[in-house]
Amino acid sequence: MIKITDLQKLYRTEEVETVALNNLSMEVKKGEFIAVMGPSGCGKSTLLNIVGLLDDLDGGSYLFNDIEVAQFNERKRSDLRKHNIGFVFQSFNLIDELTIFENVELPLIYTKVPAAERKRRVEEVLEKVQIMHRRNHFPQQLSGGQQQRVAVARAVVNNPKLILADEPTGNLDSNNGSAVMQLLTELNEQGTTVVMVTHSEHDARYSDRIIRMLDGQIVMEVVG
Amino acid sequence: MIKNYFKTAWRSLWKNKFYTVINISGLAVGLATGIMLLLWVQHEFSYDKFNKDYPDIYQLSSHFQTDGDNITWEGVPGPLAIFAKSIPEVQSSVRILREFDQVLSNKEKRKIFDRNTVAFVDSGFLSMFDFPLVKGNKATVFPDNNSVVITQSTAQKLFGDSDAIGETIIFFETNFIVTGVLQDFPENSSIRYDALFPMDLYAQQFTANGGNGDWKTIDEDMGNFGFNTFVKLQSNAGSEKIGEVFSAAYKKARNGDSDVAFRLQNLADIHLINAGGNNSALRMVQIFMLVVILLLAIASINYVNLSTARALLRAKETSVRKIIGANKWQLFFQFMIETVVLFLLATLIAIALIFLLMPFYNSISGKMLYFSLSDISIWKAVAIAVLGTLLASSIYPALLLSSFKPIESLKGKFSSGLGTVSFRKALVIFQFSISIILLVCTIIMSNQMTFLKKKDLGYDKSYVFTVPLTQKVGDHLDAIKAELNNQHGILNIATSDAYNFSNLQGSTGDIDWEAKPANSNMIITQVVIDKDFISTMKIPILEGKDFNGTPVDSSHFILNETAVKQMGLKQPYVGQQISFHSKEGTIIGVVKDFNFQSLKEKVSPLIFFSWWKGNILYIRTTAENAQQAIAAVEKQYKKYADNSPFSYNFIDKQFEAQYQSDQRAGTLFRVFAGIAIFISCLGLFGLVTYTMQVKIKEIGIRKVLGASVSSIVQLLSKDFLKLVFIAFIIAIPIAWWATNKWLEGFAYRVNISWWIFVAAGILALSIALITVSFQAIKAAIANPVDSLRDE
Repeated sequence: MIKITDLQKLYRTEEVETVALNNLSMEVKKGEFIAVMGPSGCGKSTLLNIVGLLDDLDGGSYLFNDIEVAQFNERKRSDLRKHNIGFVFQSFNLIDELTIFENVELPLIYTKVPAAERKRRVEEVLEKVQIMHRRNHFPQQLSGGQQQRVAVARAVVNNPKLILADEPTGNLDSNNGSAVMQLLTELNEQGTTVVMVTHSEHDARYSDRIIRMLDGQIVMEVVG
Repeated sequence: MIKNYFKTAWRSLWKNKFYTVINISGLAVGLATGIMLLLWVQHEFSYDKFNKDYPDIYQLSSHFQTDGDNITWEGVPGPLAIFAKSIPEVQSSVRILREFDQVLSNKEKRKIFDRNTVAFVDSGFLSMFDFPLVKGNKATVFPDNNSVVITQSTAQKLFGDSDAIGETIIFFETNFIVTGVLQDFPENSSIRYDALFPMDLYAQQFTANGGNGDWKTIDEDMGNFGFNTFVKLQSNAGSEKIGEVFSAAYKKARNGDSDVAFRLQNLADIHLINAGGNNSALRMVQIFMLVVILLLAIASINYVNLSTARALLRAKETSVRKIIGANKWQLFFQFMIETVVLFLLATLIAIALIFLLMPFYNSISGKMLYFSLSDISIWKAVAIAVLGTLLASSIYPALLLSSFKPIESLKGKFSSGLGTVSFRKALVIFQFSISIILLVCTIIMSNQMTFLKKKDLGYDKSYVFTVPLTQKVGDHLDAIKAELNNQHGILNIATSDAYNFSNLQGSTGDIDWEAKPANSNMIITQVVIDKDFISTMKIPILEGKDFNGTPVDSSHFILNETAVKQMGLKQPYVGQQISFHSKEGTIIGVVKDFNFQSLKEKVSPLIFFSWWKGNILYIRTTAENAQQAIAAVEKQYKKYADNSPFSYNFIDKQFEAQYQSDQRAGTLFRVFAGIAIFISCLGLFGLVTYTMQVKIKEIGIRKVLGASVSSIVQLLSKDFLKLVFIAFIIAIPIAWWATNKWLEGFAYRVNISWWIFVAAGILALSIALITVSFQAIKAAIANPVDSLRDE
């Protein structure tokens, strides 16, 4: 599904140039559950952003489902992203002004799904993450664990082929964290590819393969 | 999707109530003011355009060159309407002769009203103009010379609810039958009368009174420039060329002895530009339009500033939306919808404000504007103000917010790439520059009005009142004066033919002296007075003496300084011979120049003469005895008056009334300056509040490290006050130029002192300081533990 070859990513300020990713190559097969680990500043979140088409490359090649996306402009990346990729963030990133239902509905609005179909799919996915009874509440009325379940629901409502999770349990206690990891595992078992960045060895054990990074490069891959 | 946008917009506004209130308040006040001003501007531009043929209707005016000066008279001689008949491009012509302050009464004389403006009009008047008759027939309104057409208001005054057709009106001791009732002349008509009489009647009287010298009819009289004459041209006829045709025809009729030029001015222009080309009224309208734009700009800037400053808070939401699939234009549209919702709320409040404030606005603007939501022109004004401001305010913030890069924004950094901080500072500077300019204009206009009120006019206008006399009363003048001279509290009594001594109108070129240059066209203002007038008005005599009340006065003249200078006479002036209206006489006195016209003009030549008794009584009294004096004069008046109403005017009030429109402009500017400062400070308050929130951690750390409250207040305030100071520097030259331009319209004016600019700057700075300090002090005294713990 994902084939990255000799990926380069640089961050430039007026005085300093930092190499965030240094000739990095990796492959992710369809249906895999990958954990990316490494110390702070090693480039794992940068890698995730590039995989998620949120950031552009400074060098190298990125094939997403055999489509070369390295030279895509923002509009093409956005298009590909909204139909194929779901995101789960450490700090949930729900929109405070929208109810739970409306938050989960949002990706369907942007992909122009008709209203009746939207309702059906949102309810289905809210049931799946067991938060349907809170659908008319606002994010600030929910606990951290509940918010992350909503975030996961939002990530999957469009049936994406790939889920990218950036420290999904970072702001959760162990029980809630386990619940979220369970959700991701179930999604993976249903065929969704998952790439997760994590500091937690515990969470990494849910994955099929662990990629360890250091200083913008992959230093080790361990099959789980 | 749109439903989602509206939901988000509404909830976002509700969540951030403080900023929503700031935004809506500023916008509502700005929109309300802008719309009211636009209504006024619309009204000014609408004058006379209700006449469907207005593009082809023109007014003739007379233009003279006199010793370097251009003189313009609105009136032209009667024969021009006859010349018009032989000009192919002229379809029709109408003469109007106005008489102000006339008495009309019903037959029983139980209802008598003065202060009517009546006009003698040619028979084509109602065909040329669109003044609808509610009763009567346009074709037959003047069946004879004893007909009169009155307005609905006049009919109501004289006859109540009964049908006025066939009723009798008395005017100048003569009975007239009402043959038509007109709808009241609209407020936006330059032509407005209370009653219309046939021109044939005036013509008949003119001839019966011997005409004017050799000219026995009004159609022949080349010397009387008293007729307002309108012509209707064929479409696309060249008005300039036709003016020249009239000039040539008149010159020919005078056997080549004429330098007067006649010009045509379109009906739609006469309200804002006078016949002489003075467009100060138009300029005032243009200034107000500029003020509308500036006030709406200030209100928009508040919204733009607050939205962009708080963009950081929306950055996260924007990024999430982008990540989950929104494209830039969907986000742009979402933010536009938020602005639309805010504007809709602000517009509703603005409309409510307008309904509340309309009466107050009408009282200070001197207009009778109506705000009715069923009037399409109101919606035009609302649409222009709202859409213009909406477009100006919404595009930049929407573009900014929709352009954030998702990942950086989620991390809490966002590079707008648009230099938002500098841009916001520039906007604040712009707002305060406008406010300071308006403040300076207000102070200078106020100073100029005070200067005019207090200026020494060259005569004493305090506690002098005038009483117009009817012929009957005037016949007993000597008896009246003898009685009043014994009245306690009456210091002086005199007579003149001048109705308004601060705006003398009668003038003539019919004056000759020995060394008069052949090409001289000197125009001189002429005033009839008696032997007591100069002393009553306390006008200093520089040389010679006053009239003495004997028949020899009829061959004596008194001139002002400017007259003798322009005539090129040498001292001693007394004893020199002049000829006035073909009558020889001697100069017996020269008075010091005094202001007898608007202080927008320099003093011009003036001649006093005493050929007949004036019909206006001038009485000097004192503050304590004014009421007694008026009562005494009224008693004498009514002894001889035979039901004619008694009225009086204090001449200082007449003087002030001339500057009413300038006074009103001054008041309006004061209001605008206040509104501009209010809106600017509202925006500043919002920005300061926001800045304090952003700097809360920094303030906490500084306090922990030992900073005092005053040093923190200073730190927080100085950036904002710097902006106001820069605004002040920018505003000075613009304000100086603008006020100088306005003052150019006055022959007598105040100096623009430097302290005025300093005062305006200090005022703006003080108001800004108060606005900023309130929030700065609040932030500075907050417990640092709270802010650091939250972080």
